[in-house]
Amino acid sequence: MLKYLIQKEFLQIRRNAFLPRLIVIFPIMMMCVMPWVMNQEVKNIRVDVVDNDRSTLSRQLVQSIEASNYFIFNGQKPTYNAALKDIEKMDADVVMVIPQDFSRDLTLKRHPQVLVAANAVNGTKGSMGASYLSQIVTMKVNPSVAAMQSKMSTLFLYNKHLNYKVFMIPALFAMVMMLMCGFLPTLNIVGEKEAGTIEQINVTPVPKWAFILAKLIPYWLIAMFVIVVCLLLSWLLYGITCQGPLWLVFALAMLLALFWSSFGLIISNYSDTMQQAIFVMWFFVVCMLLLSGLFTPTRSMPHLAYLTTYVNPMHYFVDGIRTVFVRGGGFHSVAHQLLALLAIASLMEIWAVGSYRKNNL
Amino acid sequence: MIAIENICKTFGKVQALTDVSFSVDKGELFGLIGPDGAGKTTLFRILCTLLLPDAGTASVDGFDVVRQMKEIRRRVGYMPGRFSLYQDLTVEENLKFFATLFGTTVDEGYDSIKAIYGQIERFHNRKAGALSGGMKQKLALSCALVHHPSVLFLDESTTGVDPVSRKEFWDMLSMLKERGITIIASTPYLDEVRRCERVAFLNEGRVQGIDTPEVILERFGDIFNPPAIERKTASDGMNDENVIEVEHLVKAFGNFRAVNDISFTVKRGEVFGFLGANGAGKTTAMHILTGLNQPTSGKGKVAGYDVCTEYEDIKKHIGYMSQKFSLYEDLTVAENIRLFGGIYGMPAKEIARKTELLLQQLEFADHRNDLVGSLPLGWKQKLAFSVAIFHEPRIVFLDEPTGGVDPATRRQFWQLIYDAAHRGITVFVTTHYMDEAEYCDRISIMVDGRISAMGTPEELKRRFNQPDMDHVFTYLAREAKRGDD
Amino acid sequence: MKQLISFVKKEARHILRDRRTMLILFGMPVVMMLIFGFAITTDVKNVRTVVVTSQMDMQTRSAVERLSASEYFTITQTVTTPKEAERLIRNQKADMAVVFAPDFASKRSGIQFVVDGADPNMAQQWTNYATNVIVNSSGGAVNSKLLYNPQMRSAYNFVPAILGMLLMLVCAMMTSISIVREKERGTMEVLLVSPVRPLMIIIAKVVPYLVLAFAILTTILLMARYVLDVPLAGSIVGIYIVSTIYIILALSLGLLISNIASTQLMALLLSAMVLLMPIVMLSGMMFPVESMPEVLQWISAVVPPRYYIQAMRKLMIMGVDISNVVREMVILSSMAIFLLVVALAKFKKRLC
Repeated sequence: MLKYLIQKEFLQIRRNAFLPRLIVIFPIMMMCVMPWVMNQEVKNIRVDVVDNDRSTLSRQLVQSIEASNYFIFNGQKPTYNAALKDIEKMDADVVMVIPQDFSRDLTLKRHPQVLVAANAVNGTKGSMGASYLSQIVTMKVNPSVAAMQSKMSTLFLYNKHLNYKVFMIPALFAMVMMLMCGFLPTLNIVGEKEAGTIEQINVTPVPKWAFILAKLIPYWLIAMFVIVVCLLLSWLLYGITCQGPLWLVFALAMLLALFWSSFGLIISNYSDTMQQAIFVMWFFVVCMLLLSGLFTPTRSMPHLAYLTTYVNPMHYFVDGIRTVFVRGGGFHSVAHQLLALLAIASLMEIWAVGSYRKNNL
Repeated sequence: MIAIENICKTFGKVQALTDVSFSVDKGELFGLIGPDGAGKTTLFRILCTLLLPDAGTASVDGFDVVRQMKEIRRRVGYMPGRFSLYQDLTVEENLKFFATLFGTTVDEGYDSIKAIYGQIERFHNRKAGALSGGMKQKLALSCALVHHPSVLFLDESTTGVDPVSRKEFWDMLSMLKERGITIIASTPYLDEVRRCERVAFLNEGRVQGIDTPEVILERFGDIFNPPAIERKTASDGMNDENVIEVEHLVKAFGNFRAVNDISFTVKRGEVFGFLGANGAGKTTAMHILTGLNQPTSGKGKVAGYDVCTEYEDIKKHIGYMSQKFSLYEDLTVAENIRLFGGIYGMPAKEIARKTELLLQQLEFADHRNDLVGSLPLGWKQKLAFSVAIFHEPRIVFLDEPTGGVDPATRRQFWQLIYDAAHRGITVFVTTHYMDEAEYCDRISIMVDGRISAMGTPEELKRRFNQPDMDHVFTYLAREAKRGDD
Repeated sequence: MKQLISFVKKEARHILRDRRTMLILFGMPVVMMLIFGFAITTDVKNVRTVVVTSQMDMQTRSAVERLSASEYFTITQTVTTPKEAERLIRNQKADMAVVFAPDFASKRSGIQFVVDGADPNMAQQWTNYATNVIVNSSGGAVNSKLLYNPQMRSAYNFVPAILGMLLMLVCAMMTSISIVREKERGTMEVLLVSPVRPLMIIIAKVVPYLVLAFAILTTILLMARYVLDVPLAGSIVGIYIVSTIYIILALSLGLLISNIASTQLMALLLSAMVLLMPIVMLSGMMFPVESMPEVLQWISAVVPPRYYIQAMRKLMIMGVDISNVVREMVILSSMAIFLLVVALAKFKKRLC
């Protein structure tokens, strides 16, 4: 019986003018474009310089700004206020003011200070810009601190060159899976409701679990396919490969797919129209995505918000896949994520079967 | 009043209208009939200036449909097939909105709609979505008439409405005609066709004939008035075994008793007609019998299983076809058969063998790989019925199976029903076509949640002293009190 | 005029009676504001740090104490070999390790930060913070000043972006759906057959959503000011002027979508794919435009929310004079006019 139902689902997906294309093109599109877009790397910071000193030292400072690949030298401004005008127009991001007689005061050990004012509307960008610029200045003018800092070295594990794509590609897996396995099953059952075919199914002796399972399995296989495409593309396009065991990536992905497709079915069981279903789904997707630590560290969240990550399957997935894919963690490293995902996903699966009503409509 | 000359219209490859010409006089009640897909709706839309014809000219009230769109739009009332009301607005809000839309007020137009609107006025605070079919239709008509149109277009406005409401509706149309309003209406019901002064028979986009209803129905008798079906004597199939037994069944939604204490039995091999006006509780009762819903109180057995507890077992032994026609449109004919065969646990070989047989019987062999969505409505219905009895159920439930198709197609459908009954499958059917009611072995008529009469068509006609089932039904249903409360 | 009023009333009733959608319409902004305002932060906080040292001498201890005293770092463990630290980081028990060389005390040198580089930005910030804490270079040569947002609150950055996203969503998605719904249910046929001018139908459809958009705008601004403590530094008038232009633009887009789509589902998908994805990804809402490859920067140049978000950041957070957003206003207005003209020209007076 299950065989016929699954066959029907596949036939319907294949017959659909839009779905097969979506399933193939969407992950490819996402993998080709998104790693370039999802880039919070701070670079191309535009710097205005107000040089009141006009000494060799100040010129050297400007030169080292120009040489740095973080900065774009935007030009000299006569006064701080004039530079501020640039910031207000968002034509510049940082202003550096070198005080009068800076060079002379420095040799006289009067501790002159360079003013660095950064537009911090985007906090990360502002503070990182300011601190890069401070480093450049410190290197030039304060040899003792520079010497001390030079003795401090930093080793960035797992991502030596701080490539942002390494961070974002596992996150992309999560997003693609979420969109494919979350929205498609949601639309599927509501679609049958709207077409009236679900009534026909309800008067047949099909057990609930068989009907739900028949809906889930195709999306599971689609998830499988999608994750293979994503892994291949990240290797081919960006040369980024999985550091840990591949089977763990699949295990995590399978569990996440199970969660999302069950969740989608639950929502569609409770909705009457596609529009409703999409709205509700969208709401949950946005909340779970933002609170998953996909873009921002969960540890910086306030306590209350942090508590939600304990029930957020996206959080476990993002955490787990980054550990396996980027950090090369093994089974022990992600055991508790796997367990938590399994628990949440099975709960949702049971709920999905339970909330599907064949009787007492 | 209305003059149509050589109108042609194509959609892509489909020639919807070919060379259509006719004219309608002022104050005439003109019928437009023809099978599903004959081009009626397209013609209406052209006359309402919603579509542009590819060739030919048409004028309404002396204004050209292509150039004088505004003038026409001020003068016509249009009721499309689906009820064009705002479901989430109340009755009064709907009417007010449409009145201002046409630059008038409800008070100004009240006289012209009083007769119709008066009947639903007491529900003025109810949402249109919560009205029954008959009342929605009355409201839609009120909305279409509130601005004193000189022409009224009705596109199958009464499909799915019970005979009593339809009769009232047509009485109103006659009244409007008296007032000089020109009416063009399309309808699948023969009794309605007979009430028109002249009708045009449209088939495959061409006008096949225009004349009085009698002449047209006579001339195209093979379509409109097919010979009665011969019922092979209910021989071996029928016996005294009861396959459906219902005692004091009640289904309440809050205070509202949709099904109020009904009792009846159906015998094996019987064709049982389950009639009732819109909102009488037929569909609810049917849902209980098919295991889709459970009764509030009372007992019921279907195929030997209890409707309260063994509803999943019932489902193994019944077939069901709903009014919404519910095969998967994106699967082919053969795939649909296979799917439902498989769902009922038939072995693959058996499915393959019976599929061939079925396709031959239906003469569908050439279309086995066509998508169901691409078939004409009449074919879909036949296929849906065949699929519903594919697994040889003991009972098959049909909920208004033949809505919107012409008499000839309906006759073919009933031939299938009789074949099934002959094989010993009990048929439980609801319908709004009273000629179909005559085909049943036994009939029950539901009014206000109760069964008010039951028996063979002959018995009922005798008992209530009426000439045909139509009159019997009208006689009984007029007693309805709750209407739509 | 009377027709218009009754039309608008009808439209308002549709919106008000659809409880679930209303809930989403107003619940969404509130939840988004709360999430973005409170939960989404890139603050350096609670960084789980492992100390790697073979001997705990005075110098090492003081350095460690300085780290743990700062609000940024939490010392979770002390281990003896970098290998152990690396294992802890791999298993997500720690974020970074500070490795002190054995001769750290004598030479006051030799610290290595071993950082989890999975999140590059955070990794760099952790290093910067740790360096500053340990070096404690007070009286340095630089006086840094963070303008407009000294506490570096992420909400400052996100509130304008949420505005840009939600207004677009409400206006474009909801108008297109409400028009397509009439097409789907067949009521559009009746409206078209009536003598009402098509322009009137459009205006009546748009007015309630215009009001709704302003209600949402005001809700968000009030929440931003009183719940999230985000300043409304600029002139309120300016904010509303720019928003009006943007709302009109979004409504025009909605009209355009309703011309193309024939079912509600299609309208929904079109708005989601054509609008939502580019808005979130390419408008500079979450990912700065200037970090993208050039091709994508060109594409983002035609994404209207980019200009709106930028203008709102200037007006709301930086509190600049309205003359500084003239460029954005001109771009948005010309986009709005273009879309409006196309949408009106394409609006069908007949069915096909």
